[in-house]
Amino acid sequence: MILLTFVAATPSPTPTASPGAGIFSSPILLSLLIWVPVLMAVAIASMPNPRGRYDTLMKQIAFFTTLGLVFILFVAYNQFENFLPTMQYEERLDWLPAIGVKYHLGIDGPGLVMLVLSGLIGVASVLASLGVRERVRAYFCLLLLAEASVNGAIVSRDMFVLILFWGASTIPLALLILGWGGPRRSAAAWRLLGYWGFGTGVLAIGVFALYAATGAQGFDIETLLKPGLSPRIQLAVSIVIIIAAATRLPLFPLHGWIRDVLAEAPPGVVVVVAGAASRLGAFLILRTVIAAEPAAGHLLSPLLAVLAALTVGYAALAALRTVDIRHAGAYLAMVPGGITILGFAAVSPLGIAGSVLSLFTGGLSAALVAGVCATLSDRAQSRSLLVLSGLAPRMPNLAWLFTIAALALLGIPILASFPAELMTFFGAFKNQPIGAFAVAGGLALTAISLAVLLRRVLFGAPNPEAPGVSDSSLSETWYLGLLAGGLLWVGLFPGGPKIPGTEVPLFDPGLINQMTAGISDIASPYVAPTPAPAPAP
Amino acid sequence: MLLIAPLATFLLALSSVRTRRSASAMAMFGTVVTLLLTLLVAWGLTRRSTPFIATYQYFSMSVAFSGASNFQTFGIQLALHADHLTVVALLAIEICMIATIGWHQVMGRTEPGAARFHAFITALLFAFAGILMSYDLAALFGFWAIAGAVTYLMLAHRWGLDAAASRARIALALPFVTDLSLLCGIAWIYARYGTQTLNTLLPILHTNPGWTVRSLVVGSVLLMIGVAGRLALWPLNWWITQTAVTAPPSASAIAQSTWSVAAIVVLYRVMPVVVASNQQTLRGCISACLVAAIAAPLLSLFGNEPRRAIALAGSGAVAVAAAVLMNGFQVQSSTFAIAGVAAVLAIAPAVAAGMLAIASIASAMRTDDLAEMGDAWRRMRASSGALLAAAIVIGLAVSGALAFGVRSRSFLGFALGDAVVLIAVAGLRLFLAASFGPLRRRRAFEPDRVRETPGALGWPYWLALMSAALVVASMVTGWLNFLDGQKHPAPSAGAIVVWVLAAIIGFAACTVAFALSKDGVLAASATAGVWLGRGTAAVYGVIERFLIEPTTDIARRFGDWVPVGDSAVGRLTGLSGQLALAAARAPALPLVIVLAVVLALVFALVAPGVAR
Repeated sequence: MILLTFVAATPSPTPTASPGAGIFSSPILLSLLIWVPVLMAVAIASMPNPRGRYDTLMKQIAFFTTLGLVFILFVAYNQFENFLPTMQYEERLDWLPAIGVKYHLGIDGPGLVMLVLSGLIGVASVLASLGVRERVRAYFCLLLLAEASVNGAIVSRDMFVLILFWGASTIPLALLILGWGGPRRSAAAWRLLGYWGFGTGVLAIGVFALYAATGAQGFDIETLLKPGLSPRIQLAVSIVIIIAAATRLPLFPLHGWIRDVLAEAPPGVVVVVAGAASRLGAFLILRTVIAAEPAAGHLLSPLLAVLAALTVGYAALAALRTVDIRHAGAYLAMVPGGITILGFAAVSPLGIAGSVLSLFTGGLSAALVAGVCATLSDRAQSRSLLVLSGLAPRMPNLAWLFTIAALALLGIPILASFPAELMTFFGAFKNQPIGAFAVAGGLALTAISLAVLLRRVLFGAPNPEAPGVSDSSLSETWYLGLLAGGLLWVGLFPGGPKIPGTEVPLFDPGLINQMTAGISDIASPYVAPTPAPAPAP
Repeated sequence: MLLIAPLATFLLALSSVRTRRSASAMAMFGTVVTLLLTLLVAWGLTRRSTPFIATYQYFSMSVAFSGASNFQTFGIQLALHADHLTVVALLAIEICMIATIGWHQVMGRTEPGAARFHAFITALLFAFAGILMSYDLAALFGFWAIAGAVTYLMLAHRWGLDAAASRARIALALPFVTDLSLLCGIAWIYARYGTQTLNTLLPILHTNPGWTVRSLVVGSVLLMIGVAGRLALWPLNWWITQTAVTAPPSASAIAQSTWSVAAIVVLYRVMPVVVASNQQTLRGCISACLVAAIAAPLLSLFGNEPRRAIALAGSGAVAVAAAVLMNGFQVQSSTFAIAGVAAVLAIAPAVAAGMLAIASIASAMRTDDLAEMGDAWRRMRASSGALLAAAIVIGLAVSGALAFGVRSRSFLGFALGDAVVLIAVAGLRLFLAASFGPLRRRRAFEPDRVRETPGALGWPYWLALMSAALVVASMVTGWLNFLDGQKHPAPSAGAIVVWVLAAIIGFAACTVAFALSKDGVLAASATAGVWLGRGTAAVYGVIERFLIEPTTDIARRFGDWVPVGDSAVGRLTGLSGQLALAAARAPALPLVIVLAVVLALVFALVAPGVAR
């Protein structure tokens, strides 16, 4: 029955026929993205594996699971109707009707962007984890569960279910760090649990407060965040949600987990945490504060601008002073989050659009920079910047990838972060010029810290007393290359490649085109009124 | 095609070329093809009266369905616009690159990473073609940022050398700050006008609803800082001077010459925004250029590093040209502003020629100290002659522009005249120091081996020749008419004579000083250079001690306090948990009594009117 539903052909009308439209549609497409990894995790967990005999098979299962999810996402992405402002691929089931909880899933443009990011991160994390040798079964089981919970948090339209997925993503990641992390893995895992647990608790408080304020009608986002809430309630709930989001993204000063987690976690976990799981913080702000509480959005935009500026500035300064390359990568991974929040602080349609795109680009660049630092320290057998020096000639692949990561953080053109940062800045200068200047200053500091880092690690004189180094392995190159490739692809073709001379898209309708669905609705409360005509000179 | 040709060359170079010879051949081929295409476009322009325009959509999206119409959609277009100025500027850049590639083929044999280096050159050409042709400021910034990134990679080319890598970080950080300023300026303008395409922006500067003078002033200042950084106007020229010794000479030559051309054209195109703001802003910008025009050549007299000196001399000359350009917009409603652009078109190849010539001499003499150089006129006549030609051109390049655009009997004219004198002194000093006097070198050095390297000596000469032709052209009204398509009245012969005389005074002063005592002059420069170095180090030390270190230390300490704080919170949580467990196991009655007493105390202290 499920299979029949899966393959039923349901042509979807589109004003411009995009390749892939009408191939298939499924009423449980989003559920597949959540429960297929769970099922595969259970399958892996229950497979016998005497003396690690089937380790390779388990890795293959995990890889093909994530690849299959990407395929499903690819079809969903192509079939997505970007002219519709409503949710698509919706699924609704009553779950706890007594308290108004529904299993309600759905995505719009920004949700699709997050899902695409999560799909790419999933494949990259498995590739990055191919070098795991110990307790392979447990590792990949937990990795798939983590991906499933992230997907669930993205597509949930019921806040109760969102909280469950939000909190659920913490546990497998903490266990992965505790089981396979570096020397200080225990501190890192507890820190992750503490901060993300605190964030989950705060989020639950906010949601339940909203539930009470709306008359306990239900936890559906449209019910909880309906228009008409008083500005005071909007403000209080928004502050709580921003605190919850700040623990996840992270934003200064609730960033205490990121240094240890990204420094001690294995590369596959680093990619998931930096790339997808942390972006949920910004996504939450978009879904709740920006989309549904415009009065609070306007009032809190200076606060968001301050947080953005502090985050970017602090991250750059901290990266400049650290002597541990993985710590530097962790701090630098905070920079894209600050830029995303600046776009929200702009409270303008263009700023919000820029932030949505920077959810994708920021996830990839944060994962890339943290992943490169992790891989480089593994390959160079040292994390100390006092030891690592002049590695470029001996590690050309990693050197190039590190350079691309640095350019991605700075928003250099041909990478996807360029249009994202451009739109964010263009939108931010209207309403938050001081915040935009401050973030630009932070980006300048980031450039300085990257210059120092590149100089030390890649382009300096080789250190004869350093341990032997080797370039990245095939799987390491692939996972980092996938992240860099995603940035390059969207950077070169933000509107999707087209048949030369026509407007007909090839296999990719363009991430920027697909993400517009719903953005106009989200941004409509923030449209500035048309100013009066200028007097004649 | 002007974009595709260098891009295709870059991709081919990146993917398939490995040897040094094939890399340079590929880069030369790509640049020559682009040159031929540029000439083809130039020929096409002669057969029409309007520029070539082509528009390609990078992306476009609608962001709102209400509000001001110009803010409802956002897109970036490759709005390519090829007019006479574009074509001439691109030709100047291509010729500089061709000459540098040719020189590097011979003199750059010992440089590492030939494939990488030549690939960067073609990428830079692609970016400059985009900068010169883009009329969409967002797309222009995109190409600008690509060029900036590639420039950094070229200046940091000597991997493995600590000094090179250390100085190259300035080449990333400082221009990035100014590039950010350019981005902020474009974003500011967009936020007020809803458009970033020059064709639609310029007509509405004073008519768009909600425009204010303040917004134009802020935008103008940001744009000016952005452009000034890449024009390498003092004090934003550190990225050129700091890397002048450590970067490959070809990289320094290309970086300074080509960026000055691209940046002056961009300045010329965005000047209407600055003019639309107010007179004070424009005067402020002119004053800044004036200061740069005097400071840069003055600083080139401090110290005996030849490539740094020629970089500063060139920077000073570009500053004079920029001042003329701005004055042309201020006084004459842009009629003579193009003269400033024409001057930079002549300065750029001269700077490149001078850099390459002095690099040849320095390489043969195995020293980067002018005090140790000498006798190049006898031993290396070609390079020495090219250096002389470059010095003369740099000194005279701005004479035509000044004759067109500045009255000599004004404060601005007087100040710029001083600058011209200093530039002439700074330029000729290099020639005199390297070409005459005994060759002083350490004992193990063989002076008889100081000779020209065959195959490399022609390139600086041709560049200097081309720059001389452009200097002469810059004094001809027809050339200016051709560049901007407007009619310009000819300057008086007297005006030209006055400004040429200023340069000649500088040449003469320098010659007399060297004739009297070459060693004395160079010793004074060396001493001044040492003091300047100490002063710079002291200033940097103060900044490092009182600004950078405390700031970064605060960040580091915060980074350390956070985990300590987390651990304390964790211990507190654990302790409270243990207390709760202990309380659960404790007998109930005493616990209740203790709790009651504690609560009563708290209530008594907090509630008014009970205990007090």
